[in-house]
Amino acid sequence: MILPIGPIHPGLKEPLRLKLKTQGEKVLDAEIDYGYVHRGIEKIMEGKPWQKCIYLAERVCGICSYEHTQTFAETIEKISNIRAPLRAQFLRIITAELDRLQSHYLANSTYFKAMEHETMFMYMLSQREYAMDAIELLTGNRVNMGWNVVGGVRMDAKEVHLNQILEKLKEIEKNHDRYVGMFENGPLVGLRSKKVGRMTKEEALKGRAVGPIGRASGLKHDLRESHHTYKDNLEFKPVWRKEGDNFARTMNRFNEIPQIIDLIRQAIDNIPKGPIRVDGKIGSGYGEWRNEAPRGEVLYMIETNENLIKSISIRTPSIMNIDSCAKYMLKDVATVSDAVATYATSDPCIACAERVAILDVDKGQSTRKFI
Amino acid sequence: MFKSLKDIVRKSSIHVCIVNCGGCNGCDVELVALYSPRYDIEQYGIYIHNNPREADVILVTGAVTEQWVDKIKRIYIKAPEPKIVLCVGNCPISGDVFNQEGGTVHAPVSDFIPVAAEVSGCPPRPSEILNAVLTIVPNAIASRGREKK
Repeated sequence: MILPIGPIHPGLKEPLRLKLKTQGEKVLDAEIDYGYVHRGIEKIMEGKPWQKCIYLAERVCGICSYEHTQTFAETIEKISNIRAPLRAQFLRIITAELDRLQSHYLANSTYFKAMEHETMFMYMLSQREYAMDAIELLTGNRVNMGWNVVGGVRMDAKEVHLNQILEKLKEIEKNHDRYVGMFENGPLVGLRSKKVGRMTKEEALKGRAVGPIGRASGLKHDLRESHHTYKDNLEFKPVWRKEGDNFARTMNRFNEIPQIIDLIRQAIDNIPKGPIRVDGKIGSGYGEWRNEAPRGEVLYMIETNENLIKSISIRTPSIMNIDSCAKYMLKDVATVSDAVATYATSDPCIACAERVAILDVDKGQSTRKFI
Repeated sequence: MFKSLKDIVRKSSIHVCIVNCGGCNGCDVELVALYSPRYDIEQYGIYIHNNPREADVILVTGAVTEQWVDKIKRIYIKAPEPKIVLCVGNCPISGDVFNQEGGTVHAPVSDFIPVAAEVSGCPPRPSEILNAVLTIVPNAIASRGREKK
């Protein structure tokens, strides 16, 4: 039987249609229908100055909105040979890590909601509010921050604000271990999540899974290792696990949280004084830049003509993760309710994933320049 | 007397269906934050689930994309009377940044279904959404229920 789930469904916070091929309760195969959130962002961006485009780039996705503006700004900086001052780089890292913190808590809360564990769902959301407060202290807004510009960041952070962020981190740490213990040692939670939705390392490679989803299956790949600010100034090791099931993916996000808090502490302790923005002429040419968003690798390919964006292509992590979820994780899941939970643990962000290219193979034409 | 009794019941138990018809997801995240213990929308007798068939209030976020043009009407028809529609964010009001050349959105939502109230902001803060829902929805539901009878 083909069982459609979505586009409006209690377990999904964004519209998407999941078609499950089932035999009784057992899921045999899954298919995904996209296209409910396609707004044509790349097409709107063409021919507009970067100041307008960075505003649009922020609205590719609401959860990881920060990482999009940072990647956009760093791509243009690469094209025009500008390097943001060190203080701006540190401020960017603090905000990026705070954004990752709230995104991981949100992802785990969605998973707990999908497997009907309301208590943990509430705990996760209450932890997340501290991270949102810290973001609001630093940037002045909760979701779409407008914090990055080409050549630096828009505002400077005061010492008071940075100290208050450290206080918020202490609040998060106070209960974090207890909550992780509840999940790790809870027998019923373990039954619902261990060995459910397994994806092996080979399958993760084939499905191009990235981010915490790939790392939970044993792909030791974290783009922060190759980012210049992290590489030169901060110390960290990627967190990864071998199992590749729902338990591993959720635990991987939990285990990344102390590491994120440590990174923010390192950045606040070592933040240098100086300017937060440099001026520079925007160059013409093509450039690409990769960053580690909360869900994995985000790639911007931009061609500029001085101030104007000639063409742009955005690749977000969700599209690979959702695809590998449909192909490998959802196969042979025992029940339909487990299938919804497995889908939630792949941390889907549909608004990120909706981009369109029309290809004409015979003529060799495409509506997009870079694919 | 029977009518006023119905009013009390309608005001104190409100079921909400969230429909994201193609936005950036930011408003939906702020709506999820309403569940959290800090805002705790359920203490006011408001229950968020995503089932249009038992919804009193449809919260619409997002500019209407190509796929949603007919579906948004169908979801509205599925909800039982009395029902009201509340738009959250700039997208359902005007289409925000997506409503310009090259974009594939059909904002505003009021072209397709009748809208009772709008909360602007990109995205509005959870406290603003909560404030709007609490001030508008109970009375609007009650008066709409009366006018149909």
